[in-house]
Amino acid sequence: MKVTVFWGCKILTSQYAYEMSVRRVLPELGVELVDLREMHCCGDVVKSVNAFAAKYMAARVLALAGETGIKELLVPCSRCHFTLSETQHLLRSDTNLREKVFALLKDEKLEYPSDVRIWHIIDLLYDAMGLSRIKEKVKKSLKGLKFSAHVGCQIIRPSIIGRVDNPENPRKLNELIRALGAESPDYPEKLDCCGSALTFSHQEAAFTLAGSKLKAIQEMGVDGLIDSCPSCHEMFDAKQEEASKIIGKKLSLPVLYYTQLLGLALGMKMEDLGLHLNQSPVEKLIEKSGVHS
Amino acid sequence: MSLTDLMSMAKPNSEMRERTLAKIGKREFADCFQCAKCTSGCTAFKLLELKPHEVMRLVNLGFTGELISSEISWTCVTCLKCMERCPQQASPYYVIMALRNLTIEQGGKVPEAYLNAVSQILETGFMQAVQKVTAKNMETLDRQKLGLPNIKNSAKTFKATFLKALEEREV
Repeated sequence: MKVTVFWGCKILTSQYAYEMSVRRVLPELGVELVDLREMHCCGDVVKSVNAFAAKYMAARVLALAGETGIKELLVPCSRCHFTLSETQHLLRSDTNLREKVFALLKDEKLEYPSDVRIWHIIDLLYDAMGLSRIKEKVKKSLKGLKFSAHVGCQIIRPSIIGRVDNPENPRKLNELIRALGAESPDYPEKLDCCGSALTFSHQEAAFTLAGSKLKAIQEMGVDGLIDSCPSCHEMFDAKQEEASKIIGKKLSLPVLYYTQLLGLALGMKMEDLGLHLNQSPVEKLIEKSGVHS
Repeated sequence: MSLTDLMSMAKPNSEMRERTLAKIGKREFADCFQCAKCTSGCTAFKLLELKPHEVMRLVNLGFTGELISSEISWTCVTCLKCMERCPQQASPYYVIMALRNLTIEQGGKVPEAYLNAVSQILETGFMQAVQKVTAKNMETLDRQKLGLPNIKNSAKTFKATFLKALEEREV
């Protein structure tokens, strides 16, 4: 399977571990990754300033993807995934919007493709690859370990535009964790938001959200938290210490991208998966797992 | 200022109602029947007192100016739960985003981080500058040292069309 990849700002400019692990694990499962000829923001942050300009940016990304002739577009960031899916959905029915957006694209000799399929890591692995292919590839089972899943908000809602998993009871990330031999118990705070978007306006509330969720998960006694969005990951991993201070509770929870966890189970090296970049205490989990002993 | 204080002196403004309606296009927010399912599940309700059903009602009555002054639209975490759960497909999320856009158009108070992000996009194409990161062993690393390919910057024409798009208002 061949896919173009739209990485988005967060991954390309700071969340390098996600990009590294995606670039490692997907080819191992038979997915060929092709970069777009240009990279820029999807428009997500622009929505708050000018909703039309945001849609233009998203349409431009889809036009760049269409240029490659590849119909499958992988978008590993949940926020970018929503922005692109939303614009694609609106452009199908809103003729007025279509006219305005297409005119701007024409200025740059770009053409909007009607038939690009947008994937996220979670559905690409679960639906296109399948659990059995992943299970076959596991070299080091993660048996004996327990992980909570953080699905995030924007890949599962709103279902009306077609999303990656069930909006109220998402299961795919749990199943993907179990495919590696580990356990993935449910918990009451599963659908709680990481708070990332509030870092633009209400920092303390943002870290309260992240910290409260981390605290609840830590108290469950699991070995770590697994996520699949650079914004969520930044909150739970890089900002864990800050969140800890805000909620007044010591937090020490390993947080990994699913693609990093998958890479460990596929027998890959820590450095190749960017695990040396995680700020949360991933060492204790890797030690316990025995994958590198 | 709190929305409750603002409302004690408020007058409805039908022109603002129409402008907000125009912004959210065909989305039928007028169908909201105040079930408050959005508010009961709202992430920002617990922490920042955002009540999406109240926002819906006030916009529908033309109190957009009061909503803008209250700065309440910037408390939304964009979790999209209200959009998913609304029995009328009325989507408070889009109304809140429209309020943010109107705040900008009217020169209201906007969190600086949003404006910085847009400036950054105009400059580099991305909402934030490319960062160096520190590994666990305190080594400073960048894309190149991590073996990641160079970023392919957007064409020069992108900036011009993006600026043109930013001039566009009602959609």
